[in-house]
Amino acid sequence: MPKLVLKFENSVLKEMAVGSKEVSIGRSPENVLVIDNPAVSHYHARVFNEEGRLMLEDFGSMNGTFVNGQRVKMVTLKPGDSVGIGKHTIVVSESRDLDGFTSGNGGSKPAAPKINETVMLDTKERREFLQKVAAVGESAQVSPARLKIPTLVVRKGRTNQREYSLNDKLTVVGKSSMATVKLKGWFAPKAAAQITRRDDQTYYIGAADKVPSVNGVPIAHPTILKSGDIIAVAGVELEFVFRD
Amino acid sequence: MATEIEFGAQSDTGCVRENNEDSYRVAPEMSLFVLSDGMGGLESGEVASRMAVDTVLEHCREAEANPSLPFAGENIQGICGASNRLASAIRLANEVVYRAAQQGAGQRGMGATVVAVRFADERMSVAHVGDSRIYRLRGGELEQLTQDHSFVAEQVRRGKMTAEEAGSSTMQNVLVRALGIDAAVEVDVSEELVIEGDTILLCSDGLTRELSDAQIAAVLGECANAQEAAGRLVDLAKQAGGGDNVTVIVLRHAAKPVGAFARIGKWFKNSA
Repeated sequence: MPKLVLKFENSVLKEMAVGSKEVSIGRSPENVLVIDNPAVSHYHARVFNEEGRLMLEDFGSMNGTFVNGQRVKMVTLKPGDSVGIGKHTIVVSESRDLDGFTSGNGGSKPAAPKINETVMLDTKERREFLQKVAAVGESAQVSPARLKIPTLVVRKGRTNQREYSLNDKLTVVGKSSMATVKLKGWFAPKAAAQITRRDDQTYYIGAADKVPSVNGVPIAHPTILKSGDIIAVAGVELEFVFRD
Repeated sequence: MATEIEFGAQSDTGCVRENNEDSYRVAPEMSLFVLSDGMGGLESGEVASRMAVDTVLEHCREAEANPSLPFAGENIQGICGASNRLASAIRLANEVVYRAAQQGAGQRGMGATVVAVRFADERMSVAHVGDSRIYRLRGGELEQLTQDHSFVAEQVRRGKMTAEEAGSSTMQNVLVRALGIDAAVEVDVSEELVIEGDTILLCSDGLTRELSDAQIAAVLGECANAQEAAGRLVDLAKQAGGGDNVTVIVLRHAAKPVGAFARIGKWFKNSA
């Protein structure tokens, strides 16, 4: 039976199994999973089983429901998914031993989150905010799943910036007009290498006109980047890090 | 670089099935290529896949004429407008197939997969739902660009099943995501860089059930042109049993010599 784990920052507030009865989520006490916080709508979303699949539906909430950093209306959840509601996170996990409702923190009433840390935005502000997040990569309050920003730091070589936040699904290193990491110099290749985001937090480095090395070893196929990896390609060295 | 794409496509009922429930469309004028594998009893699989590919083409074509055409669903962050348009087209295809499935009596279980690519300069938008696949051959290396939305593939991703077990599982045909099943569908969208010499393959599972990655890579690497490669892949899948409908689209960026001299030449030409 799948289990929902409600977290605020690093602390677990509640755990709850999803059986045949749907789990309604919201600020109103009538909900099965109550999140008492102004950023959460009174009837915010629900999680339910449908033909063996775990579904999440957002009830058109003010501040939205995010799965792995992406805003959703209705999606199928899978174990490991991180559902963002306001500043709270609900992690989906598979559970065999848990039945019904248990409470975290030794069964005591979960600590109420501090209100001053909450982001409340109206529709227009939210839209502007999301656009700004996309543009600047300042992925902050709204989506807890994306608090850490993948970043390329230039260690060596000639590029147009010293650091790059990887906001897009595709990042190209080269001289090409579509390159994010722009290489300088006559002989720099148009597209030396590419970094793609396949799942929301997994970044792959792949060969293009050149075969990049990761930590001194030329890659044989697209390779998952870890924080601290040094990428060397076409005369530049880039460190891949997750920034807070 | 002029983005000239050479393409070839082939579809076959195979040796066992009576109907071909696969559909594909090529729209080189929009650099758009779409393939769908339908499912459902009677003729509903054929109808579903045809609806899916036609809806994707139609929506993209409409958006070409009218760039302010609304998007179906919420835009995804971190990808370009063309990629979001492709996702929008697929969500719309879901809506069309879903409505047809709801309205048509005896068409329960009607659905379809979809894979689509669209090129804009050096960028390729990749979108899919279901277990049809997109591969890229670059530098002799075959890479699957899509993750199957099938039960066994999910089990493998979660580490609950090995690739070998998945290959022999009786659950191979169980999809966890497809068009037409729910009122809304999550579309997987990614973007890829395209470089000269890249070969892209879109295919239904009738190909990948019969041929290994190595066999596919060999055909794509050996054949001189895209249509020949498409034909050869379908023939090989049929020889291997042809248990399902087989459909492939092969896309290729013609390899041109690009070296320091060519680049200097271009530079002189540009500065002249």
